[in-house]
Amino acid sequence: MNMANKTDKSRRRFLQKLGIAGASTVAGSALLLQGCSDSNKASGNKVKVLTADNKLVEVDVAHLKPGDKIQDLSYLQKRGREGIPGKKFVMVVDLAKCKNARKCMKACQSAHQLKPEMHHINVLEMEDPVKKTSYWMPKTCQHCDNPPCVSVCPVDATFKRQDGIVLIDNERCIGCRFCVAACPYSARTFNWTEPKNSDQYAEVTYDMELNVPQKKGTVTKCAFSADRLREGKLPYCVSACPNGVYYFGDQNEDLVTNGTTKKTVRLSHLLEENAAYTLMPELGTQPSVYYLPPREDKG
Amino acid sequence: MKNNKGYHIIILFCLCFLAVANVNAQSDWQVPVEANEKLSPFLFDDDMVLEGRVAYENSCTSCHGTPSQDDFTPMSPPPGDPASEPFQAQSDGSMFYKIKTGRGTMPKFADAFADDELWNIVAYIRSFNENYKQELPNMEGIVIPEYAMKLSFDENVDKLVVKVFAEELPQPEVSVSAYVMGTFGKHLLGKAQTNELGIAYVDVDPTLPGDEEGRVNVMVKATKGFARAKVEEHMVMAKATERHSAIEGRHIWSTDRMAPIWLKITFFVSVFGVWFALLFIVFGLRNIKKARKEA
Amino acid sequence: MNETITKGHLSEEQIDRDLLKNVNWGGTFKLWMGFLTVSLIICLYYYYQQLRNGLGVTGLHDYVSWGIYISNFVFFVATSLIGMLVSSVLGMMKVDWVRPVARIAELVAVAFAMVAGLIIITDMGRPDRLLNVFIHGRVQSPIVWDIAVVVTYVAISALLLYIPMLPDIALCRDKLNNVPKWQQKMYKSLSLGWNNTAKQFRLMNRYTRMLLVLIIPIALSIHTVTSWLFAMTLRSGWDSPIFGPYFVSGAFVAGCAAVIIAMYFFRNNYKLKNYITADHFDRMGKLLVLVALVYVYFNINEIIVPGYKANTADAKHVHEMLYGHDSVMFWLVQLGGLVIPFLLILFKPMRKPLPLTLISVIVLAGAWFKRVLIVVPTQLAPYYPIQNVPEGWTGYTPTTPEIAITVASFILVLMIITVLAKLFPVVPIWEVKEDMNHKNN
Repeated sequence: MNMANKTDKSRRRFLQKLGIAGASTVAGSALLLQGCSDSNKASGNKVKVLTADNKLVEVDVAHLKPGDKIQDLSYLQKRGREGIPGKKFVMVVDLAKCKNARKCMKACQSAHQLKPEMHHINVLEMEDPVKKTSYWMPKTCQHCDNPPCVSVCPVDATFKRQDGIVLIDNERCIGCRFCVAACPYSARTFNWTEPKNSDQYAEVTYDMELNVPQKKGTVTKCAFSADRLREGKLPYCVSACPNGVYYFGDQNEDLVTNGTTKKTVRLSHLLEENAAYTLMPELGTQPSVYYLPPREDKG
Repeated sequence: MKNNKGYHIIILFCLCFLAVANVNAQSDWQVPVEANEKLSPFLFDDDMVLEGRVAYENSCTSCHGTPSQDDFTPMSPPPGDPASEPFQAQSDGSMFYKIKTGRGTMPKFADAFADDELWNIVAYIRSFNENYKQELPNMEGIVIPEYAMKLSFDENVDKLVVKVFAEELPQPEVSVSAYVMGTFGKHLLGKAQTNELGIAYVDVDPTLPGDEEGRVNVMVKATKGFARAKVEEHMVMAKATERHSAIEGRHIWSTDRMAPIWLKITFFVSVFGVWFALLFIVFGLRNIKKARKEA
Repeated sequence: MNETITKGHLSEEQIDRDLLKNVNWGGTFKLWMGFLTVSLIICLYYYYQQLRNGLGVTGLHDYVSWGIYISNFVFFVATSLIGMLVSSVLGMMKVDWVRPVARIAELVAVAFAMVAGLIIITDMGRPDRLLNVFIHGRVQSPIVWDIAVVVTYVAISALLLYIPMLPDIALCRDKLNNVPKWQQKMYKSLSLGWNNTAKQFRLMNRYTRMLLVLIIPIALSIHTVTSWLFAMTLRSGWDSPIFGPYFVSGAFVAGCAAVIIAMYFFRNNYKLKNYITADHFDRMGKLLVLVALVYVYFNINEIIVPGYKANTADAKHVHEMLYGHDSVMFWLVQLGGLVIPFLLILFKPMRKPLPLTLISVIVLAGAWFKRVLIVVPTQLAPYYPIQNVPEGWTGYTPTTPEIAITVASFILVLMIITVLAKLFPVVPIWEVKEDMNHKNN
């Protein structure tokens, strides 16, 4: 009897611990979002918000939880321009693992309100001119440290932030497409016509870190999912990949996390051990996206 | 052409053979009773699930696909989706046994993974089953110690020193794993066992960058059977690194405010210079009007 | 040749009558303007469509995001450059024969430069945000330099058209009594009380000289900056250090051709055979030979230097030009639009008014397509393959709205030139008189 009690007790203790662990995770993410919650005091009026999986729902302002997207444009604009202090985001793409599943492209297009022909990330079939073989190469914005697109923008609509991310403010973009012409990686795409489902997004507040809602006549491109990074989450494409192609992390910490396995490794070791390279380093653009070489045969 | 045909026939033959030999991979795989009833000595928690996932993605996905996606590789016998009914109907011990020993096309993982790592994989597979309730071993008579940990860093040998206690007594043979917490995940520094003084040493790479003072967020787990503890602490043990903004200084590509001074001066001096001259001429036109009286 | 710059002995009254004759609002003018207006309205309907539906109504896409709007813009800026060459460079070198055609060159310059500014707006995805360029302008962007310099060039060209025209405006004020009231008023206020005093001439000459000096660096920079829109990028085919002089030399070819066409038109329609003589055509022809020669030289450099080194991307670009996708247009433009005309004009009979004008039309058309060849093929040869996009995105075909809006820019130029040529004498009367008196004494 006594013994049985003890066992029960210890069991309960585990469960308690488990509960505490769970609670602390929630608290942690709430802390991350604390900065976003000041604009939520007003009540009575309903707003349309995007949920984490990018569905539109209508909620009362008072019921907005820290995880919900905030509705204050000036706050979002300021936040988007400033970036996250102390970070320098990098991506590593392991070409040997890419099997052209295209889950990254799908996740990206649905998150960023993109039409099927618009790509923030595009999986290309690359030919090896010497071996006559081909491999799959996902190509995003390279978030260059010397970005040609930002240099040429006449109105400071595309800009580089302190955390290394190159973003677009589509509230300011005049649609001259100089950045599209200047980008050697063809990473930029343009809203030639009314964006997809624009009527559904009509009342959504513009968040430049997500670049949604898209606007006709403005440029859009990969934002390294800056909105997700703020919540401590990996980018949409990175977490959607089923094959462990992407690593993403902070260069300052020298740690990158695989989006599929969630394994965190040292960036410098990963790059060194796998003979990593960047795309067209001779152009001097200094990309923040590294590639690990493909295997000889296509996976 | 001929070669190709032969190749096809061989594949066809193999497939037929496999199909006949093994109609259903799960149903007729007999697991010894003892193994079938084996229970995990660990409580399946989030950490185990996460580690199990890493192991699964590296070793299992190629055949079994992503659990609950039904995207396993079509082979014979079909490897099946671990989140599916036939998989989840088995006992924990049965899963553990099958992964460990393997059979036919299913490899044997006994050499690849230690027992605790195999249990991680089981925990991961179970995480797809909402109705699953872990069956715990009979704990009668077993007292589970409550661990406390003390962390320190020995900078002479670059080692993280972990002391594990339970009610003030040092605990030997406790598995200790130390992690550095990154923005998106935890990076394993190393694993070690405590010695008879209850102390475990984990190597720290001195090149690991910390913040300006060399601080990193360290998480240490101590486990031994069902006993476990976890601490998270900011410790000065990495290389002090200054964090620079990616846009500091005057750059040609930065905002107008941060434009190089020579560029601003050149631009504005030339534009205003020319327009000044033009305005001079335009205002000078009045002189032409005045000059009409001269004659 | 018995024809000289201006045909011998003409009395001042004769000159006044001949050169003021065109200043009227005749039936032909009304018909012509009516035709232009109707065409413009049709084209503007397409622009309205573009405003409503976005740039998607054009043939542009993510890979060719700059098409004939931008190449047309480059062409317009190029053509407008001739004002600088003729009135400033030749004028200051005291090349007297250009004086009767200098105003025509200025007219062409003003019209093309003004419309060039508008073309840029038609290419913008968000023309409603034009003001952002002034509110948030970054001095690091070539577009900001381009806007600054185009606006400045329009202002200088307009002044350079206006100030040397003061005596002629005064003449219109004094002699034209049968024009509408508003026109008389306009002449009165524009002439600034001009009554041919020595001091007025002194001031006018001083200001004109200042403008002539000022316009040289501005004109050179307007086209150099336009070339930098391309040369400042890392795209093969654009990434070239000689793009500035290459564009400037090409601009003179287009401008010369445009002026020759305008000269021919005014000479025939306004019966100015005594003032714009065959000799003028002969000399403009020679000028065209000179500038075409320089341009051919730059073209050879542009192709042979990257072609010889053949780094991966450049080799592809040069190959597409010489043998591949763009080869037909390339050889038509280079041979048909530049080399053959250039060789033809070497022969004197080809420099007679009519043949020279016909050749100029071909040169001008070639110059337009040359700008397309500069803008488009580079974008069709990106460093990374064009994949997972609609099939049409591996090429570029302008659509009807796009062509219509481009045509609208030409209509606008014609309208501006027509109206200006109906308001003011196209040949500087006082200069012709001065020349005549000089000769007679």
